[in-house]
Amino acid sequence: MPRTTRRSAGSAASGSSTPPSSLSSSPPSRPLFPAISLRSSSPSSPSKPLSSGTEPPVSARSSLLNVLTRPHHSAPITAVSTTTASAGSDASISDEDSSFYSDQSTISSYASSIVSGTSSRFTSSEDIAKVYENYLEKPFVQTKSTIKHSEFGHDNNPNWRWTSQWHTDEPIHPAEEPQPSYFVLLNTYISYILLILIGHMRDFFGKRFRPADYAHLMPQNGYAALNSDFDSFYTRRLKQRLEDCFARPVTGVPGRTIVCFDRTSVDQNKTFQMTGSTTRALNVSSYNYLGFASSTGGCADAVETCIKKYGVSSAGPRHDASTLDLHVQTENLVAKFVGMDSAMVVSMGYATNSTTIPALVGKGCLVISDEFNHASIRFGLRLSGASLRCFKHNDMHDLERLLREVISQGQPRTHRPWKKILVIVEGLYSMEGSLVPLPILIDLKRRYKFYLYVDEAHSIGAMGPHGRGVCDYFGVDPREVDILMGTFTKSFGAAGGYIAGSKAVIDRLRLRSHATAYAEPVSPPVLTQIIASMGSIMGVAPPLAAPAEDDRSDAMSISSRPTAYGPASSSILPPWMKLPLNLLNGTEGRERLRRLAFNSRYLSTGLRKLGFIVYGHRDSPIIPLLIYHPGKMPWFSQMMLDRIGADKTPIVVVVVAYPATPLITSRVRFCLSASHTKNDIDQILRASDEVGDVLGLKYGKQTMSVEEVIANAEELVAANF
Amino acid sequence: MSAVPSPVATLAVPSSTEIPAPLLPLLSSLSSFFMTIQHLFNRIPGSPIIVRYIKSSYQNDPWRSLLEVLLLAFAIRTVLKGRTRGEGEGKSFIKLTDKEIDELVDEWQPMPLVDEPSEVDNFTLQTVPTIYGPNGLKVKTSPNGKTVMNLATPNWCGFIESEKMKEVAIDTLKHYGVGTCGPSGFYGTIDIHQKCEADLANFLGTEASIIYSQSFALVSSVIPAFAKRGDIIVADRGVNFGIHKGLQISRSQIKWYAHGDMKDLERVLQNVERERKRKGGKLTKKFIVAEGIFENDGMMLDLPKVIELKKKYKYRLILDECQSFGMIGAHGRGLTEHYGVPATEVDMLLGSMSNGLATGGGFCAGSSVVCSHQRINSSASVFSASLPAMLATTASAAVDILKSQPSLMASLHSNVLLFRQQLAKLEPVIPNLTPPSPGSSAAQSDSALMPPPPVPNKDAIISIPSHPSSGLIHIFLLNPPETMVEEESLLQEVVDEVMNTSSILITRARRLRGQEVFEPEPSLKICISGAMSKKDVEFAGKALKAALIKICGSEFPSRSVTYP
Repeated sequence: MPRTTRRSAGSAASGSSTPPSSLSSSPPSRPLFPAISLRSSSPSSPSKPLSSGTEPPVSARSSLLNVLTRPHHSAPITAVSTTTASAGSDASISDEDSSFYSDQSTISSYASSIVSGTSSRFTSSEDIAKVYENYLEKPFVQTKSTIKHSEFGHDNNPNWRWTSQWHTDEPIHPAEEPQPSYFVLLNTYISYILLILIGHMRDFFGKRFRPADYAHLMPQNGYAALNSDFDSFYTRRLKQRLEDCFARPVTGVPGRTIVCFDRTSVDQNKTFQMTGSTTRALNVSSYNYLGFASSTGGCADAVETCIKKYGVSSAGPRHDASTLDLHVQTENLVAKFVGMDSAMVVSMGYATNSTTIPALVGKGCLVISDEFNHASIRFGLRLSGASLRCFKHNDMHDLERLLREVISQGQPRTHRPWKKILVIVEGLYSMEGSLVPLPILIDLKRRYKFYLYVDEAHSIGAMGPHGRGVCDYFGVDPREVDILMGTFTKSFGAAGGYIAGSKAVIDRLRLRSHATAYAEPVSPPVLTQIIASMGSIMGVAPPLAAPAEDDRSDAMSISSRPTAYGPASSSILPPWMKLPLNLLNGTEGRERLRRLAFNSRYLSTGLRKLGFIVYGHRDSPIIPLLIYHPGKMPWFSQMMLDRIGADKTPIVVVVVAYPATPLITSRVRFCLSASHTKNDIDQILRASDEVGDVLGLKYGKQTMSVEEVIANAEELVAANF
Repeated sequence: MSAVPSPVATLAVPSSTEIPAPLLPLLSSLSSFFMTIQHLFNRIPGSPIIVRYIKSSYQNDPWRSLLEVLLLAFAIRTVLKGRTRGEGEGKSFIKLTDKEIDELVDEWQPMPLVDEPSEVDNFTLQTVPTIYGPNGLKVKTSPNGKTVMNLATPNWCGFIESEKMKEVAIDTLKHYGVGTCGPSGFYGTIDIHQKCEADLANFLGTEASIIYSQSFALVSSVIPAFAKRGDIIVADRGVNFGIHKGLQISRSQIKWYAHGDMKDLERVLQNVERERKRKGGKLTKKFIVAEGIFENDGMMLDLPKVIELKKKYKYRLILDECQSFGMIGAHGRGLTEHYGVPATEVDMLLGSMSNGLATGGGFCAGSSVVCSHQRINSSASVFSASLPAMLATTASAAVDILKSQPSLMASLHSNVLLFRQQLAKLEPVIPNLTPPSPGSSAAQSDSALMPPPPVPNKDAIISIPSHPSSGLIHIFLLNPPETMVEEESLLQEVVDEVMNTSSILITRARRLRGQEVFEPEPSLKICISGAMSKKDVEFAGKALKAALIKICGSEFPSRSVTYP
């Protein structure tokens, strides 16, 4: 492994302290966040002997690196560089707990580095299996962390970090989505035709010979059938074949690993029988981007204190008498986090969209929606009574064409101008892994005067150098967006959602949103989890620095205000909440952001190099790998769980098919997390490689072998394709 | 298709004999051109089949060929045409030049995203209390203020303060963390969700149940999961907002019957039946949608009658028990227990764990077919993250408590009666509010509301339609001011008066004026808890009575609306 010091991207931007004395062998560099100890990154770090055997000549590698690594701070977005600079200075809170981080790197290379420190790569598979026996629960190195390795992996190698940030010369979307050969497409269509034919045949004969099984589809006793035969065809005849891949019951924390209950079926997946045993598997299925789903650690302790103080419920609707001080505190914190004036929290992410949109638009308004928008947005739109037009996924030319058409034509038939036009997009699309081209959208917004609603359900916390979502990622001022919506389910390990916007908008929504008048409020422990996790991403400013309550100096106009995401003032947090220092000063949060960024980019690039067709942006923590063929879906899921590879580490993955995706582009979706270590990603790559070879999923051109990919992880992440 | 005319054309050229000389070179080049095309065409694999097909289909009938060509053109057009509705080229589409469009774009000024808040809006926002510290029977409405008695939060059995539930929640936290980080389809189904579903089904006596992560989203998702376009829904006019939204999404044909009027329900059912017979047609799904205790006024549904009618006319019943679950019946099982009707008679029984069990989320209980259908077809279940683990375990714990301690319900019902007795003198018809003897049948307690001698009460200023065992009590003014705004502000005065004089927190029923299908009348909303002491209940009732008499008692001539 090369041991050149490759600090995080953009790190040279900040002008702060740590003396570069220990970083002698590489080009001088200063870390972005001085609070994070970089001592272990020195080539003379104690962990080095472990992997020294595999180390190639440093000079060649490092020169390659210098070519590949572009200094990100040279990106010509002024807003972003000021951001990093200001955050850097904000972050100079403490260095004292750096001893918390073990100086040892977690070992990455397959068997060589683990077994004895020899460079032998020809260890037998039994040896590997033995070493990996407790892999999911025990880290290879000793750590002091209180969080369980099975929930949040220990990975202290500072080389395996990245900063999620837009490089202006990297296209937001690849010019063309990679396409498989026509043979694959044809095959896929034929399989569906076959499945449908067989399904109809089974229905035809089944209805005649086993009518009892079809009773719920037939009118009986004067009642019409509850499910229509036609509507349920897909569920019965296609989905049921892969039923085992869905809704697998689990237990415990959905962290880095998850414990699944084993089950079998004797009646073709109609019912399942629990075998009683469980399997702990590496979890790349849960939306646990920052690894805050945890039963231990600072956030969990805060939640425990909260339960003792508040109980679990605040009962009735918000506007009756169930607005707690915690709700107000959370809303203030969320507003500060996303960089808006005001925010409102709702107890369910789905309902956040479905109850807010009707409060914003109505008859005479037009909503332009991306064709891949989430079901909750469509639900809200149907409730609102507004007109709806869709544009092609992420196609800004199509959007512009549509905007010109609708503005010039006005309302259908009457040709009256639209009252208002609201464009609804998602920040990060959960099935595609694609990012909304926000800078272009903002330009269009200035020209065409529509209002912009960005659903950041997946991107909040997961994207951007400060984890503040797509605005942060692209260096766009969040106030250019009218409404930012997001959920707490994903990055924050909690539940519910928020809406953020200007004070006028949020006040209006409080009055008109269905959720405030009729829905239950967010429960106090969930609020505490939100405050604790969000606070630890932001860092909490010491009490002295807290601005006065009525100080509005940070609410400046758009033009004068750079997109600076500062720490939360400690007055926002509840006084009883005691967070440990590493959460309080934001080091832990920042570490998680950078781990997630590395993991995402590494896996996404690695899979592409292995010859898979992968959609989405390289910085997206959602990585869809295309399977196409419906028959391969259950196999993929099963083979990842029952590994044939040497290490036998089971992996649970999500396979998605129609109707969540277009019919032919069935896919498997990896959701990465900051809790995954690099070694975990290595395992996923190896497993995908195995399965991909067996099932013939490498539809593209394989340019690197899996061990090559693993050995070159850092270069792949740094490289710009 | 461009190659199709070639065989015909090449045949046609030599047949013409008398051609003017100057045209000859032209024709020869044309014919060689056609020959080349024909040659090329013949080299395409499968071209003889096409030629054969065209020849056989031509059959000396050019119209037939023309028709086929037109059909093909139509098919191509259909395929190429955009699929979104209203895309271009409609009848009313006006072709404009780019310059004109630019001008129109420059000219267009959208309305502001939200309207300026009106005085009423500010008034509404300002009157929302904030609770400092935990919610429960005694709360603080300012950081360092005094403790007030809370009659505004549903806390039927005092579960909010339950230490047992806190213990369970902490225990769950230590095993499961807080969030589930995924929808139930993708590794979001935890064992304790399954346990909670089993516990609820077992408690109610249904085959299965399915839990949702929010009770408000529950009903608006369950209705459209079953009722589709073309189906018939007969609904009570007094149903809550969530049901209205569900009905709207379902796109079914909605028939309303007068609130709580079983005769009207029967009339509507008969009308539907008559119409169906007249029109004939396919058998469609038919649903009756109603609430157990109506959220908007606290009235109770006459469940036995509804079940009788539903069976008679072959309807399915969607019963929203979000208020009544955990509040009505000897163990809090809701209306089914109150009336002694098996829960299996209700096809979809919806309940709220956030109201009745003081945790969070909601559930739908019913047959296993009904529940498994929702796991794939109910939008709020499929597309939403599953319920946080601790809310599911505490719900299971609360169900256990309800099962084992019937005294909780008895205490709630006696508290409600005690409270109602305090206000009885202000009602138009003094209800007979004697506590039902223990173990009394439903019929007895029902007749309690309808006292035989209807003595008109001259001092009446309020009416309380709420059922005498409903912990949720709505108080309506008998002689309200003319506008709703005035009425709301008058009620707010009552709320403030009770707060100022007796430190009791109550609330106006909050509505979404302008968004409701049928605007409910303004009312005061009181939630009585079984955990309150008799003394407190009596005190609260008396205080409210005094405030009502003070604020609304005298005739209020031209009271001007004042906003604080």
